[in-house]
Parts: sequence; C-alpha cells; structure tokens
Amino acid sequence: MEKQAGAAGAADGAGPNRKPWGSPTCGPAAGDSLDSPTGSHVEWCKQLIAATISSQISGSVQPDVSIRDKAGRRADFLQDLQDEELCYHGDSDSEPPSNASNLPALRYGAQVKMFQNQVPLLPGETIQTTVKDVMYICPFSGLVNGTLTVTDYKLYFSSVDKESPFILDVNLGAISRLETISVSNQGENTKGLELVCKDMRSPRFAYKTEGRQLDVLEVLVKHAFPLSHSLSLFAFLYKEQFPVDGWKVYDPAAEYRRQGLPNESWTISKMNITYELCDTYPSVLVVPTNITEEDIRRVAVFRGRHRIPVLSWIHPESQASIVRCSQPLVGPSDRRCKEDERFLQIIMDANAQSHKLTIFDARQSSVAVTNKAKDGGFESESFYPNVELNFLEIPNIHVMRESLRKMKDVVYPTIDEAHWLSAIDQTHWLEYIRLLLSGAAKVADKLESGKTSVVVHCSDGWDRTAQITSLAMLMLDSYYRTLRGFQVLVEKEWISFGHKFSARVGHGDENHANSERSPLFIQFIDCVWQMTRQFPAAFEFNELFLLTVVDHLYSCLFGTFLFNSEQERTAKEVQTQTVSLWSYINSQPEDFTNPFYVDYKNHVLYPLVSSRHLQLWTGYYARWNPRMRPQVPVHQTLKELLILRAELQRRVEELQREAATHSLSSSSDHSPSPTHTTGTPLHTAV
Amino acid sequence: MLTGSKTTFKVRQMLPDIKERMLSQTGVNARSRDVFGLRCLPGECVLQRAVMVRKKLTAREGRGWLSGTLFCTHFRVAFVPQDSPKLDDNADPVLLGDHDVALASIEKVVVVGPNRTKLVTPNSSLKFTPEELVLYCRDMRVICFLFDRLTPDAQVIEMTYTIAKTYQPPKPGSVLSFQNAALGSVEMKQFLSNRRRDAHMNWFESTSDWEQELERCGAASWRVSSVNDRFEMSTSLSRFIVVPQKVLDTELKKSFAHFNEGRIPRWCWRHPRGSDLLRMASFQNNIYHEKDDIRNLEMVLFGCQSSLCVVVELGEELPSPADIQLAHSRLRALCLGDISTSVSVPDDKWLSTLEGTHWLDYTRSCLRKACEVACLLRGGHLTVALQEVEDRDLSCVVSSLVQVMCDPHCRTQPGFQGLVQKEWVMAGHRFCSRVNYHRDNDKEEAPIFLLFLDCVWQLWSQYPSRFQLTEDFLLALHDSIHLPLFSSFLANCQRERCKRSQNLGQSYTPVNGWRDTLHPDSSSDPSDPPLPAVWDWALQYSKPKQDRFTQPVPPTPPLQPLLNGNLNTNPDTHRLTDTIPGSVFLLSRGTFSCPANLLPWRSGSSGVYKKSHRRAPSSENVPGLERLLKAWALSEFPQSLTSTSGPQGPLDPYEPLLPLLMGPCMGLWRECYLRGALHAQAFSHPFSANHPHPVERLAREVLQLRDKLAQASTAGEGSTPPAVTAEPRRPDANLNQNTNNGGTFLFPAAPRSQGTAAPKAAPPPTSTNQHTSRAPPPGSAPPSRPAHKDAGGSNKHTFLFGHSSASEARPEQRYYPPPNNAKLPKSNGPSLPS
Repeated sequence: MEKQAGAAGAADGAGPNRKPWGSPTCGPAAGDSLDSPTGSHVEWCKQLIAATISSQISGSVQPDVSIRDKAGRRADFLQDLQDEELCYHGDSDSEPPSNASNLPALRYGAQVKMFQNQVPLLPGETIQTTVKDVMYICPFSGLVNGTLTVTDYKLYFSSVDKESPFILDVNLGAISRLETISVSNQGENTKGLELVCKDMRSPRFAYKTEGRQLDVLEVLVKHAFPLSHSLSLFAFLYKEQFPVDGWKVYDPAAEYRRQGLPNESWTISKMNITYELCDTYPSVLVVPTNITEEDIRRVAVFRGRHRIPVLSWIHPESQASIVRCSQPLVGPSDRRCKEDERFLQIIMDANAQSHKLTIFDARQSSVAVTNKAKDGGFESESFYPNVELNFLEIPNIHVMRESLRKMKDVVYPTIDEAHWLSAIDQTHWLEYIRLLLSGAAKVADKLESGKTSVVVHCSDGWDRTAQITSLAMLMLDSYYRTLRGFQVLVEKEWISFGHKFSARVGHGDENHANSERSPLFIQFIDCVWQMTRQFPAAFEFNELFLLTVVDHLYSCLFGTFLFNSEQERTAKEVQTQTVSLWSYINSQPEDFTNPFYVDYKNHVLYPLVSSRHLQLWTGYYARWNPRMRPQVPVHQTLKELLILRAELQRRVEELQREAATHSLSSSSDHSPSPTHTTGTPLHTAV
Repeated sequence: MLTGSKTTFKVRQMLPDIKERMLSQTGVNARSRDVFGLRCLPGECVLQRAVMVRKKLTAREGRGWLSGTLFCTHFRVAFVPQDSPKLDDNADPVLLGDHDVALASIEKVVVVGPNRTKLVTPNSSLKFTPEELVLYCRDMRVICFLFDRLTPDAQVIEMTYTIAKTYQPPKPGSVLSFQNAALGSVEMKQFLSNRRRDAHMNWFESTSDWEQELERCGAASWRVSSVNDRFEMSTSLSRFIVVPQKVLDTELKKSFAHFNEGRIPRWCWRHPRGSDLLRMASFQNNIYHEKDDIRNLEMVLFGCQSSLCVVVELGEELPSPADIQLAHSRLRALCLGDISTSVSVPDDKWLSTLEGTHWLDYTRSCLRKACEVACLLRGGHLTVALQEVEDRDLSCVVSSLVQVMCDPHCRTQPGFQGLVQKEWVMAGHRFCSRVNYHRDNDKEEAPIFLLFLDCVWQLWSQYPSRFQLTEDFLLALHDSIHLPLFSSFLANCQRERCKRSQNLGQSYTPVNGWRDTLHPDSSSDPSDPPLPAVWDWALQYSKPKQDRFTQPVPPTPPLQPLLNGNLNTNPDTHRLTDTIPGSVFLLSRGTFSCPANLLPWRSGSSGVYKKSHRRAPSSENVPGLERLLKAWALSEFPQSLTSTSGPQGPLDPYEPLLPLLMGPCMGLWRECYLRGALHAQAFSHPFSANHPHPVERLAREVLQLRDKLAQASTAGEGSTPPAVTAEPRRPDANLNQNTNNGGTFLFPAAPRSQGTAAPKAAPPPTSTNQHTSRAPPPGSAPPSRPAHKDAGGSNKHTFLFGHSSASEARPEQRYYPPPNNAKLPKSNGPSLPS
C-alpha cells in the first residue's frame, strides 16, 4: 500500500529536508517536529491539553502514561526506520519517509511485496525495467548515482550510495511529457531525460545507452501514456483491498434526500437514465415538477450539449436553489425558446421568497458575446422577465493553463528570492483564485441574503460552472465541509456532472500539448485550501487530504477521476474494475482529519477575497524545493492531537464518574455548584 | 442624558483647569468612577457620548459588529459594549479598555456618509450626517464605528467634531498635554508612584542587575564597571557597562576617546558555548601614541577570548534608517488603504507592491545577519563584535535578534522584556527621535524597533512552539510604541531619562541605580506627570488580554544552570583551527577578510604596533570560520551539518533558531499590518460563545471537574481524591522521560515545576486574584472564573489564553501590591480633597 504512503509522501514532500543528505545517522527528525509551522494554534492546543492532562495525572494512577509510552515507542520506531535506511534526499517524495511519517498508511503496507532491489510494489504492480548507473541531476545538490526502476505505475530511483540514501519516486500518471535533453558533459553514449510533470516538478536523469537493453525511454513512454499505446490505465491493474468501499460514498438519491428533495416544486427525474437526454449528465437529475418531459426535451435542444438547467442545491429554509446548465444556443440571430424561458420562470416560482432569478454567467462578458457568433450566447434579460444576468468575468481554461505553467517556472527548480512576490503576481494565479472565490461568494450571498435562486452557467457548464457551484455549496452547506460531505460534493458537482477529467488532466495520453488540458480542479482545491486557511476550524479534513486528492487526480491509481462522464465510467465498469480514492481515504480517516473541526451548522462562510488575504499554497506548488520548511510533522502532529484529545475525554469521563460518587457520598452540606455538569456528554464532531 | 449638558472643550482650554475640575469631580466619583457606564480614569472627563453605535470587529476579535456606546474623553475614544460586565470599583485603573483608542494614537479621522467620505480636521465642518466613523491609527489599526439610525444626529456630529478637535495633531508640545490628560491627575500620579517594578524581569538599571545577567550567562571573566556612572565617559551609554575583568577602570577611561560617542566595545551576551557578543561604535580616527592605549583597546576588544575576534560590520548589508523609514511608510500606505483618498492598490498588484516596499527584504537582511552571527557564536571561544557607526540602531536589532535566536530565556516574556531593556532602552537606542513623538524631527524618524519586532515575528511564525511569548505580546509592544506615555520610549538614552526624573524631584541614587518608580512625594508638585515603563502592562491591558501574552505552557524544559558558562561538552567539534592569538577578522558579505586597517591602531602608520608580538593573521585561519558560516548557509538545505548540533541533537536548547529566509518562507505580519484592512468583510466568524471549540469545552470541563474534586475532597475529609493529593508532587519524571524518548507531542513538565519552584516569587497574601484553579485552599468558595467567561467566546486563541492562567499557575502578578494593599490610590482619592 505504499502508494498511499506515496501520496502522503507527496504531501510531505514539501518538507523534504528533514533528513540531511550526507549524514545517514543524523536523526533529529523527531525534534524538528516541534518547529512545524502549523501555526501556533496547534502548539497551543497541544500545550493546553498537555497541561490539563498533566495536571490531572494523579500520583499513583497514570493511565495515560501507557499511551504516551506507546507514542514514544512509535516515535522510536520511526526514528529507527529513518536512521537505518530511510534517509532520503530532499526533493523527492520518496516512499519510506512518508511511510514512516505516516505510519497508519502501513496498515495496508503489509501487503507490499518487497522485490529485488527493494523496490516497494503495490498489489498488481509489476517491474518493467531496471537500469543501473543512472545519474539523477538534482537541481539542488548536483548529481546522484543510482538505480532506476520503471514499473507500470511509477518510476523509482534509489541511490547506490549507502552513505547517503536517496530515493526519488514519480507516479507515471503525473508525467506530462518526456524529453531528451543534452547532457554532453556526462560523456559519450549518455542520454539525458527530463520528466516534465503535471505536479510542478521536472526531474532529470542521465543514463548510458548500451544498446543491449530496451531503451528506458521507450518503456517509460509506453507506461506513462498507456492509452496512447493500447495499454490500460494502472487503476485497472491495481489489486488493493480496502475495508471500506469508496464507491458507496455518493448515492445521488440519498444526497438529494438529505437536501429535502423531492418536494412539491422539484422532482427527481429518471429521464436521463440511459444518458439519452444528455450524455454528459448523470442519470439522476432534479428538475422542476411542473414541466413536462416534452418541454424538457425542447429545452435540451436549446442548451449547449443538451445540458439543461438542473438543481444542484436547495436552501433548506428559503428554498432558493442553485441551478446549473450550459449556455443557451441563442446564436447570432437571438433565437428564443419558449420552453427554456418557462423553465427558468418555474425555477423562479419554486422559490416563494423572491420574485427574481439571478443568472451568473461565469465567463467574461466579451467572450459571451463572441460566443453568440458560434451559436452560443447568453440569456437576454428582455426575453426572460425578472431575470438578472451577471458576468463573473472568469477567463477560460487556456488562460488558467498558461497561468499554472508560469507558476511552475516561478517555483521550480529555483526560487528567485528578490522577486518572489512580483513573480507570483505575474502568474495571475492568485487573481484567478480570487475571481473564483468572489464569484462563489456572490452566488452564496445571493442565496443566503437575497433568498434568490441562482442559475450558473459558462459555455458548456462543466468547468467554471462546476467550480462556482461547488465552492458556493461549500460556503453554504456545512455538510460539504466534512470529510464525507466533501467527497460527496466532488462526486456530485464534478464527477457525475461531467467535468471532463480525462481531457483536462490527460490521463495516460501522450499528447501533452492538447489544448483541452487545464488545471481547473487544482484551482478548485486551491480555493478550498484558501478557505481552510481562513476558517481553520470549519473543515473536517486537513491539508493532507487536499494534497492527497490532487495527487491522485494525476496518479491513475484510483478510478475516481478517470474518464469524462458518468456514461463513460459506466461503460468501462469503473466501479467494479478499479478502486475508489475514497476507499483509501475512508479506510484511515484519522490521517485526514482536522482535530480542530467544529461543525458550524447553518453557518455560511464568506471567505475574504481580497488578494491581501489570499496566499500562495506553497505547501503544494513549492513543495519540491528542499529549502521549504519541513511540512512532514504537520499531519503527524494533528493525529497526535486527536489521540491526546481522545485520551483527555476518557479522563474527563473517568473524573466525572469519580466526582459523581464523591458528591453522592459527601454532598449534603454544600449546594451543587453552578458548574455542575456531571454527565455532559463530551462529543465532538470527529 | 449627556447631550443636554454636554461639555466640549478644546484641549488647551481645558488644561489649566484640569485640577479644579478633577478636584470637584473626585467627590462625586468617589463611590464609583463610572460615568454613563464608562469607567473613567481619575480626572478624566467625558466630552461627548453617542449611543447605539456599533464597532466593527477585526478578524482577530472574531469579526462582526459589537453594539454599545461611544465616548470621547480628553484622553481617549472609548467604546463600551452593551452588557459589558460591571467592573469592580476598587480595581486598578486601566488606561485603555479593550475597545478604546488613545487620542494620541489617532492619525486621521474619516467619516463616511451617504455616498461620500470626508477627512475630518479640527477646522472642517460637516455638511452631512456621518454614518460611519473611521479612525486611522498610527499603530496601523483602523477602527471603524457605525452609527445607527437611532443615534441622535446631534450626537453623531458632535462626536465627530469632538474627536477631530481633541485628537492630538502631530506637533511639538502635544505630547505633554496628552500625558497630562492621561496621567496628570493627582490620583494617577499617586497611583503610578506606588507601582512596583516587575521583579521578574531584569531592568539593567543597577550593577546588581548586570551582575545577575553575567551570572545567568555564566560570563565569569567580565565585570560591571561604573566608570560611566555620571555619563562623563559617554553620554549615550548606560550608567553601567560590562567590560573584561582584567581591564581596570583607569585603563578603561583611556579607551573611550577612540570610539564614536565613546561607545567602547561592551559585553552584551555570552553564548553557552563560550563565545561573547560585543557591541561597539566605529573607531575614531585618532592617533595611537601610547602603547598602553593599544594594549587596553585590544584587551577591551578581545574581551576574554585571547585568540579570535570577528568584527561584524553592520553598515554595509543592512538598510539605513532612512531606508527603513521609507519602506515602512510605503508598507503603511499599502496596508492601510484609505477610503478618504481611495488610493488603494489594485488587487492584482498587491504582491508586487508589497515587494516594492522592500520591507520584507530588510527584515530578511537583518535576520540573515543575525543568523551569521549566531552561527559564529555557536562555534565557541571567540569574540564577535558588532560594529555600527553610531551603535545605536541596527546593532540593537542584530544583537537582540541573535539573543532571541540563541537564548531560550529571551523567548519568554520577562526575558524578552529584559532583552529590550538591555539592548535598546539602556543601550541608548534613540527611541524618542526614531519614533519622532514630538513631530519635530522628521529626518531622524525611522521605525527600527518595529523592524525588529517584525523580525521577531518572523522567527515566531516559523518556530511558534519555541517561544513562550506570543504574537499578542509582540502586537502589544508594537502598539505601545505609538503611545507617548512610557518612560522606556520617551528618551534617547539613560541620561535623558535620569535627567527627567531628576526634574521631577527624584533623588539621585548612584549606587542602586535610578528607578522610574517615583517617590510618593515627587508627585506633589511637578508639572509633568510621572511616566510608567512600558512593561507595566496592567496599565494598558486587562488581565485576560495580558494572559494572552504568553503560552499556557512554557515551551522548553527548564534550563539547567550553566556550568562555568560552558555547555561545550564536546569542544573538538567546534575547535577552530589553531588561530594565532589576537587574530581579527572582518565579516562582510558572508566572507571573512583581514584588511590591514581593520583596527586602526594596528595599521602601519601608527608605527608603534609593529614591534608587537602579534603578527597579521594569515588567511589559513579563515576556513575554520567559514565552516561555521557554511553551517548556516546549508541549514537552508537538507544537507545541514547536523554535527554541529552535537550529541544533544535538537534537544539542545541553545541550538539557534535559524529561520528560513527564502521567499515563500517569509511572511507578512498580517495580524499587525492588515488588522484594519477595510476590505475585510464584516461577516460573523463561526466562532462564537454559543459554539465553543471542542477543545475549549473539554478544557473547561476538566477545570470544572478539578474544582469539584477539590470541593469533594474538602467535604469528605477522609477520602481524599487522588487528583488533588497528587497535585503537589508532579509526575515530572515520567513526562521528562517521555520527552527524551522522542515522543513529539510530549511536553516538558515545566508549568508545575516552575510554579512550585518559584514560590518565593509569589507573595503569599496576594491571592486576591483569580488563581483559584491551582490547589484551591480548603473550604474556599466555588471559584469564580470570570476571565474565562470573558475570554471564552470570541475565538480559539482567546480561550487558550484565557485558560492559560488557570491551567498554569505561574505566578502572574507583575506588580506586587504594596504591603498596605492595592487599594491605596482609591482610598486616598477622596480623602485628599477633604
């Protein structure tokens, strides 16, 4: 199961420099963890808890010591692990340290087959080739000599130098393109290879070509881009068994039931059960009750790719709803569609609180106008009475792709200290994050304060629309801020509603220049991260969770993000043939849980969207730089906090029982104090 | 209602009759100092009041709005929230409540009306009724009050006028009237003169203070010299300076002339590995005739290390005061935004503009320099002398940063306060000119101390768990600088401070050192009020706020006393290559050199020195030093030389905290500079009193249970519950053991052991304050814990700090009430006029 660890490792990757390269028996790892920049809050809580615990420890009975000993032993164990063999070089997401720092991942790691040369393998993973005498051209500390192994899932490099163990591991899915580079200074018959990755790094290797072996490049190309070589994605070969089935996380009927649907205005329609109405929509849709199937079919013809307006979320009190769709096909001649106009009227009427409907067109208004020439367009306020149209002015996928490309230049491999901030500005990445967040906040505010239903669309209704609706739902509904709820949100708004993951990410496809690719989901996760920074206690999941999700967006290990639509996924039998990412995550939720989580029910979160309050997610973008502060201990510390809290709760209960017996035995002369709370169940939302 | 009988004064009109007014008022207010719900200071009069006002809360305060009543007195703009708990009448006066702002802190008053904003000056007249009142403060707060429709228009307008007229316009002389407004009353003077100094921190005012520091650092071969006792040798140096044991005062006297302003090399701090940190001004271009002179100079400079001295020149790589001033004013303009001029940086240029201020660059360069010095000191057995032309600005920054990095003591609140006393206040940083309180010297203005605080914040944000003090403390200090009330900051050197106190009738006490606590009789006549030290936090901050200055549990295990001041148990790893005795190197731009004229007396021209046994250092010594520096440079990389951390590894408390200085690792101190950003939306934050944090609930419950157990134990005498009996004897051993085992989340058992180890610090009869949580006296009433209730809701930090006092048991009193009890001022108040 070391891939999960790999994910964790990727998370850890930001803080690689815990193991000084060059001194194998260094081991200050454990001590370092105190310096983690988790923010002071973690430290505060730890110390507070420690203080309260220690003040509660009685002289003789020390039940919590055993826990502590265990923790201590575990730490020792980690120490040993790391000391023995796991020292690694900074800029890798090498497996072992992540295993070590993320121990529970080993729960499944027991099944890891140790193969020759100690390459850890996943169930179902096979080694394709092994090349000795490869130089890793580290951008931070020069050359490393070692052995390169390519499996059908990953590239694994380990240094031969026993003094300074170094491991680098790259998921083949993360490779965007493979390039040969000139390494003339390495002597003759040496080839250079650069792996340009989607996850903001580009490791380079130099290796000798001796002819007798299959060129490593060919093997790599074949397995990095299996779909281009008539191979199947690794997710279909992966054989891990998890105790929890992640495919059961999202059940549309249950989710709509949670929202109180169907009700008198909205009904759950099975019209699309065969994906005949719209091939990119899910089979289960929520549409207004008062509209006939016939009308819906007419509306489908009028909307781009037949993506009709359907309900995404409904406000439990005001009944105002978020409705998503694609652009109307008004075309240059300003076509009208009576049924579509009526459809929106019915959506408006479904909410008795307001006699208006707001359409948020996520595009830039100029682009929307040019789309008219291409037979697309936007709703005219004169044809749709009581409708207000707003443009959110968000640029298209190509702009976003370019922005992230610039960001990669800024963060990898070297960081220009003097111009760091202006370089970030020039990528405009944070500006786009701001646009997304403010757009979503407008939607949320319209629903919450304006009690008005909202229709969101862009061109096709699967990119910016998904970003805006899912962020708005995250702000409005505390359920989506739980570990489970967030998975439901992603499954619903992104996966089932046909965000073209396969095209946007380019899973297994070698056409790296495909203009369909764009990091929209990364942007969404970045926005979520910004919100977790501003509301640190409002989310049940932690940063590791977000990092894990984005890493497996590329990895092709799980079936969750594969393919473009529900229809395709059904055809490929994804649910039976592959494992869900949520299986992995929900099998060890404690790793991904934020101990400070408080369920703020009915609290709408409005993030501050001024760029003054946005930050670059360096824990993701700049994590390959070994000079970044180690992030490793962060989630480790979080987990320890959870343990501590559980222990503290246990003690509280114990003391409560004790206090109860005492007050029973010796009560009569003093009245119960106002602080009498015996028996208050201490439940927290974890 | 006040509106009927409102009294609007101009400040200057008011000043002469302040005493009469106050006298007439004291009788009225003897019973209660509350005026319309505002707790007034003695002698403070309410000039204007507006009801139904809402105050916008910052993110730190929990966001949202707070409704209450707004007051303007001749000292402050005060805001009293609705339902704020009634204070104990006998409580000590607090200058500023939690929501108040001193008039002297206000820089600009802006009102927002329907569709317009206007900058209000003392002479401006309003043509509309403001809906919003925005106060821009010098300390970068922006305080925003919203008037309700129900607020009477007259109140709104009068309030605006009153504030505009009474806030201190930046001109010479206004400081004094402000001080008088705050502290000028007889009662306040008396109250202040009865304050005791905080005995937990070192004030560096007397020889014994310095000796205590020498002892703490284990610097045995140094002594305190009072050669500058009457400031005859150097006007800007402190009265006492620390010099090598072997240099006699008579010899020392000859050295002063060779340094700018007579600021000779003085000892600042000793690294546990045996290196000494010195500070000095630039050499005077003197002619060195006498051999003895030179011998003395060398002795002073080399201190107690015979072999090696590194001079760190601070001028070159660090920003000049003018640079810092420019950067800070740009940062200010950028962060404050300004609705009246609506010049706000567009969002997409924010980071570039921030970079363009160079503030972060300057922070980084100071930290980098301090890192270099810290790494040198870590090498052991050498002397590092910081040299700056005047030795009054950046050497303060670097020397104190080095100590914050290397000395855990300096990361505690008392330790840090002592550090600022030592390296800034006593060392003669020109606070008064640099802050430019009197607005009479714009050229000299430069917020060097604020740059230092930012550097400390950077360290804190990278190593939060290694600090006992908190961001709140740094913020409090940051804000206090802008309040012209504190003796610590209102002078440029100790001499000026002494002069002032002499004017006040303070008897001159050369032996024990001067104190800023005043003789009771000194307050009888003088015109100037006595000024408190900034460290008297109780004057400014309520107890719950002060509790947030420190972490609930000290971060590092209690330090063992130093053995002979030398922790270097493994000297070989640190031994530099054999150096020729008397080698001097210059560290500049990260490299070492030995320019011929580094020490002017050694340069060939003097001729005398040639015969000396010392020869010019050869360059082969340099590598040893460079290795030390490299350790620092590499520490940014994974390959850091952990060997330097020695067998103690990361547990070595003296291992310097070396910050990462790469772009992504340096942050903007948002909590300080963006506190009042008007862009902040006023949506309520999910933290509220109704939804306490789960950890908070847990902690609260634990406390309650502990109290109940204590009660139960006193009731049922026979059966003492284990939790209570066990409390005094702490299972420290276990905890410490675990710490050593490397369990990362185990905490030093410091709180208790410190609490019990320092019982002498807490005078027994002071249990009037709320330390009931710890081992409640048998039979005591159910403990009231108002602090927690107050602090509980607004956000998680609040609660943590709030509980700290309870769960901790550190002796908290910063001032011991005088033996005759703290009620003195109040009980005297009414009696005086009678």
